[in-house]
Amino acid sequence: MSLIINNLSKTYSNGVKALQNISLDIPNGMFGLLGPNGAGKSTLMRTLATLQDADKGSVMLGDLDVLKQKNEVRQVLGYLPQQFGLYPKISAETLLNHFAVLKGITNKGERRELVQALLHKTNLYNVRKQNLVGFSGGMKQRFGIAQALLNNPKLLIVDEPTAGLDPVERNRFYNVLSELGENTVVILSTHIVEDVKELCTNMAIINKGQVVLKGNPMKVIEDLEGKVYQKTIVKSALAEYKKHYQVISEKLFLGKQIIHVLCDVAPGNGFTPISADLEDVYFSQIFDTNRNLKIKA
Amino acid sequence: MWYEIFKFELKYRIKRPDTYLFFVFLFLFSIVGIDFILQGVELGPIKKNSPLVIAKAMGAITGIFMIIASMIMGVSVLRDFEYHIESLMYVNPIRKRDYLLGRFLGSFAVLLFVFSGLLFGMMLGEFMPWKDPNDLHPFNIRSYVQPFVFVTLPIMFFGACLFFITGALSKKIVVVYTQGIVFFVIFIVVKSITNEQLQAILDPFSLTTISLLTESWTVEARNFNGIPFSGLLLYNKLFWIVLGLLILVFGYQKFNFTIVKRKQVNKKKSQVLNIETDIDYTREIPEFQLKYGFKAKWTQLTDLSLFYFKSICKQPTFWAIVICGILIMLVNSVNLGTVHGVDSYPETYFIVKELQETSVYFFLIILVFYSGELIWKERSVKLNLIYDATPISDFIHLAGKYIGLLLIYIVLIISLIISGIIFQTMNGYYNYELQVYFYGFFLEILPFLALYTFIAFFAQVLTNHKFIGILAVMVFLTINIGLRSFGFDHDLYLFGGSPLGTYSDMNGFGHFFKPFIFIKAYWLFFGLSILIISSVFSVRGTESNFLKRLKGIRTRLSNSLLKFGIITMTTFILLGCYIYYNTNVLNKYMSKAETINYRVNYEKTLKKFEYFPQPKIVDVNLKVDLYPSTRDYIIDGVYVLNNTTDVTISEIHIQKLMDAHTALDGVTFDKEVIANNEYNEYGYTIYELKEEMQPGGSITISFKQTFTTNGFEVGGSNTHIVNNGTFFNNKHLPTLGYNKKYELRNTDDRSDHGLPPRLKKAKREDPKELLNPRSGSDSDGITFEIIIGTDENQTAIAPGSLMKNWTENNRNYFHYKMDKTMINFYSIVSAEYEVQKDTWRVTPKTETKPVDLEIYYHKGHDFNLDRMMESMKASFDYYSTNFSPYQYHQMRITEFPRYLEFAQAFPGTVPFSEAIGFVLDIDDETDVDMAFYITAHELAHQWFGMQVEAANVQGQHLILETLSQYAAIMVLKKHYSEDKVQQFLKLQVEKYSNGKRIESGKEPSLAFVENQEYVYYAKGAINMYELQEYIGEDKVNLAIKQFISDWNTTDGKLKMRTNRYATTKDLLGYFKNVTPEELQYLIHDLFEKVIPMSTPNT
Repeated sequence: MSLIINNLSKTYSNGVKALQNISLDIPNGMFGLLGPNGAGKSTLMRTLATLQDADKGSVMLGDLDVLKQKNEVRQVLGYLPQQFGLYPKISAETLLNHFAVLKGITNKGERRELVQALLHKTNLYNVRKQNLVGFSGGMKQRFGIAQALLNNPKLLIVDEPTAGLDPVERNRFYNVLSELGENTVVILSTHIVEDVKELCTNMAIINKGQVVLKGNPMKVIEDLEGKVYQKTIVKSALAEYKKHYQVISEKLFLGKQIIHVLCDVAPGNGFTPISADLEDVYFSQIFDTNRNLKIKA
Repeated sequence: MWYEIFKFELKYRIKRPDTYLFFVFLFLFSIVGIDFILQGVELGPIKKNSPLVIAKAMGAITGIFMIIASMIMGVSVLRDFEYHIESLMYVNPIRKRDYLLGRFLGSFAVLLFVFSGLLFGMMLGEFMPWKDPNDLHPFNIRSYVQPFVFVTLPIMFFGACLFFITGALSKKIVVVYTQGIVFFVIFIVVKSITNEQLQAILDPFSLTTISLLTESWTVEARNFNGIPFSGLLLYNKLFWIVLGLLILVFGYQKFNFTIVKRKQVNKKKSQVLNIETDIDYTREIPEFQLKYGFKAKWTQLTDLSLFYFKSICKQPTFWAIVICGILIMLVNSVNLGTVHGVDSYPETYFIVKELQETSVYFFLIILVFYSGELIWKERSVKLNLIYDATPISDFIHLAGKYIGLLLIYIVLIISLIISGIIFQTMNGYYNYELQVYFYGFFLEILPFLALYTFIAFFAQVLTNHKFIGILAVMVFLTINIGLRSFGFDHDLYLFGGSPLGTYSDMNGFGHFFKPFIFIKAYWLFFGLSILIISSVFSVRGTESNFLKRLKGIRTRLSNSLLKFGIITMTTFILLGCYIYYNTNVLNKYMSKAETINYRVNYEKTLKKFEYFPQPKIVDVNLKVDLYPSTRDYIIDGVYVLNNTTDVTISEIHIQKLMDAHTALDGVTFDKEVIANNEYNEYGYTIYELKEEMQPGGSITISFKQTFTTNGFEVGGSNTHIVNNGTFFNNKHLPTLGYNKKYELRNTDDRSDHGLPPRLKKAKREDPKELLNPRSGSDSDGITFEIIIGTDENQTAIAPGSLMKNWTENNRNYFHYKMDKTMINFYSIVSAEYEVQKDTWRVTPKTETKPVDLEIYYHKGHDFNLDRMMESMKASFDYYSTNFSPYQYHQMRITEFPRYLEFAQAFPGTVPFSEAIGFVLDIDDETDVDMAFYITAHELAHQWFGMQVEAANVQGQHLILETLSQYAAIMVLKKHYSEDKVQQFLKLQVEKYSNGKRIESGKEPSLAFVENQEYVYYAKGAINMYELQEYIGEDKVNLAIKQFISDWNTTDGKLKMRTNRYATTKDLLGYFKNVTPEELQYLIHDLFEKVIPMSTPNT
């Protein structure tokens, strides 16, 4: 089963072009969607999750038309939104049970076992009878993924799931995700490059509504191999360097400014070559599109 | 600083559409405000824009829309929390004073702007084209501004303080709009305070205050004076303003800039620590199946319904509303079905009615608020996207919410029923009649709530705005109620249909039941259809745009849902057709406007015949066949008419009862006539005699009248011919000549249609009416014989001695005959009766034969039979001794269903309503025995009204009713104590003041009284009692005795000589004769002058 997105476009009523001719081929397995804030990730996620309509284009999940056969898609869909709340006066177990009914697991016995299993899996079993109002951020997310996994989905959409989680929780979260079977299309959207590197077999970078890069993480890093150079400079010199070189990242380390530049040939001038990293790939793409857009403007 | 915050608040609100929406809404409503509030109230001479009327209307509208004040003021501080900006706000170096003051003033300014809509709307309303200039004074801006400043502003200020502070302290949006309810509760509690002074001070909208202040104002004053801002009104306003200020001060102290998101709850068990155990990431997910078929949908529906039901039960605001409701009901439970100050037995019927009346407001509050809550439930916690991504069907989801709310209603209803039963048990009454509880709540209230819940859901989905959705439902409800009173009353377009109608122990719901069920089913299918539409139009996902949702319906309407929808719509249409067939095809439906037009034309066309010389009926012989189970009858009748005038009569005018079910055919005469059908559309036929009728001549008319029931009608239909408890009188049979009772009575309607004002009673000297004992009287006395056939299990009763009764072909037959003449006013009654019999033996003083006393009652209504029997004996004793012998051989009291609430006197027969005597719970210590009294009063009519009749002119009722009151009081005094009489008289004083308060015209004297009941019943009783206190009971009785002897219809000497009926001039002459010289002024003061009686409060 694969998810085929073809020329998907959406413009909001205030003129913002959220999606511009997005085309992606997503097979089974973990797919990472990288992009800065405002890139269009959430719009794309919601459209794939049957919650938003597109202006043009098509999305096919196997034989199902995601845009037109919404109800059939929902039967095999799991969705974890970027932001969500929970009913305060209800226990985790009760609400999870409630969602299981909504998803079509109407047999009481099956449902009970399923809910128990998922609570164990997300380490919420001990707190299953507690009211959700007392849950920490991490616990909430775990609950969120538990409900998304209820119907053993064929398409799982997780929208920026680890934003705001501490490193331990992030780890737990990925452990749960990685257990998913190979028969699921999992689309993970994030702006944390680490997540994609750790989990995904396939990725795409999206910026300002357009796909700027797609492929296998390893391969896209390879493409950049030998072109990335590093140098430590003084902060005040940054503007000067930006004029002469393609600066793709500027970081601070022990108070000093370290820049990475992209060069086809060795630039000399104190620059040292480094192995490319996925972050470099990401920054280079974003920088590129931004620069292209600036030139256009 | 506060000024900056104030400006910001204003700027923010100016950009919000709801600010303008509220203004426009209030403005538009206020244009029709006065008309709406005053519908059904006859102001008489008081103009619609007199300051008093405006003040009251303003007060009422402010009251209704306090919820808008809550929405505007309550969100002021709350807004920061709702949008999660509080952390940014509160860390700034602003002082509490500036923050609160700025916000308060800013919101209050907006509130003033919005409520100015009330002022401008009402002012503009005066110039609307549908207003009648005769109803209005010339425009005076002071009449509007003054009440606005004095009545509306103070309470607005109070509301502003209250709502602002509760919003700021609670920081919960749900409190903001439930506080409107608490306010409403206070209003109801205030209404039930019996101490009028206290009530006037506490009344938040000053309605009772103004009423109390202007109680003794003349009509002039009411029309022109502004409201007096002094005394009670001043205290009332001060009270609320001061209370508002206190709340502001309190709130100011309590408020601080903390972000309290969760309360410090005492956790009984400590939170279970989320320990990192060996997390089982690899745990196997067990096998399960996803089901989407019908059975699965059913499980989902039940699960969702219970889920939503429980979630409402968990809300503290819900319990707040319930507790308020219980409090109100406890306050109201004190008086139950009181008649003349006496409580009835706590019959289930009364309990149900009381519970219905108070609880319906709370049900509506719950309906309106929780439909909003439920529709927005997921969105308010931001769980909606997760819900929307599940495969749950739109319809099942919405239906789950709907049924959840329905379950809440049902649980509340069951608690009401249980409390009713407890109340009855505590009062020692055990006849619970569970079916009456069932009907009252599950047939009347629950469907009403179910239908309006459909509307509420639809409104919420349509407007996609919680507050506006709530307003929309309230508007819809008000419009619906309004439509009915403006004459749009057909159940096919009036949402929800009509109420079930009165329940009678005798007749149950009778023939009202079937149409009610069909019409409710019709509307329920409609409701279901719009629920289906709502579900596929509701917001799912992120798109909330109206048009986009509309387009999306096509894809969301699944096949099964489409099929379901088509089935419901088809059923709806089929039911509609069946109902239409019954109400408009099998029966004639006339809208209110059509009915009025018909009656206007009747008067315009036929009034010329009002005094057209006609013969008088002297003999009536009827053969009546009643079919109560099918509600039909057939009457074969024969009238013998004599020409008692001194002119020849060439035409006989017959008026058939103005009723679509009644048909009159086979009218034949024993002389040759030609029928003139020119006026047949009014049921009026003129028969031209070939040979003129000479004075003294006679003629016989035979007729056949049928009453046929087909299908059912709009509006409950006939309550005279019913399954059990048929009761109609001879006015249903053909009458002679023009019938004044078909004229329109409402003064506004009359002037609208160009009719002159209606004379209530002719002048005392009117020569034409002196010859009439009743309006349009067609007889001066008849001989009467009747045979009535009815169902096998029923007893039929008419005046006269029972000559014979037998059963034939499974029907009962009764043959009655009067052996002397009686007035042409008789009743025909038939029901399933038990009977209690007794006789009244005459004492040697009187000369009549023993009289049969019979009480026909509905089984189980035996509470007061002995009292009625006692009364009959005591009354006959007194009246026969002091006035004249009783003229008939029997006296029958017959019970009839509570559709009408009176007792009435016919020759030898007194039909007595179920509602006013049979189920009274009379405590001999604290109550006046009203069963006894009413019996005595009705029996007195055998003298005053049947032995002696009064001319149909001013003062008629002094003779008929006041004398009966006097007679009954004398019997009461003899049988009970002086104290009871005083207690009774005190009740009459109350009745008098109540009557006087709503009187729009001038109070007449007793001698010239027209239709003012508060004068001839209440004041009359008091004045007659005073008369006998002064001149002595014996003297009064002597006067009456002589009066009867001279003026009775059979052989009264003066009646025979003058050939007219008696007037108060004649009666007062007899009083004057027995009154000593020095007390002559008394007659004048009591009967000819109008001295307003002192009321308890002045």
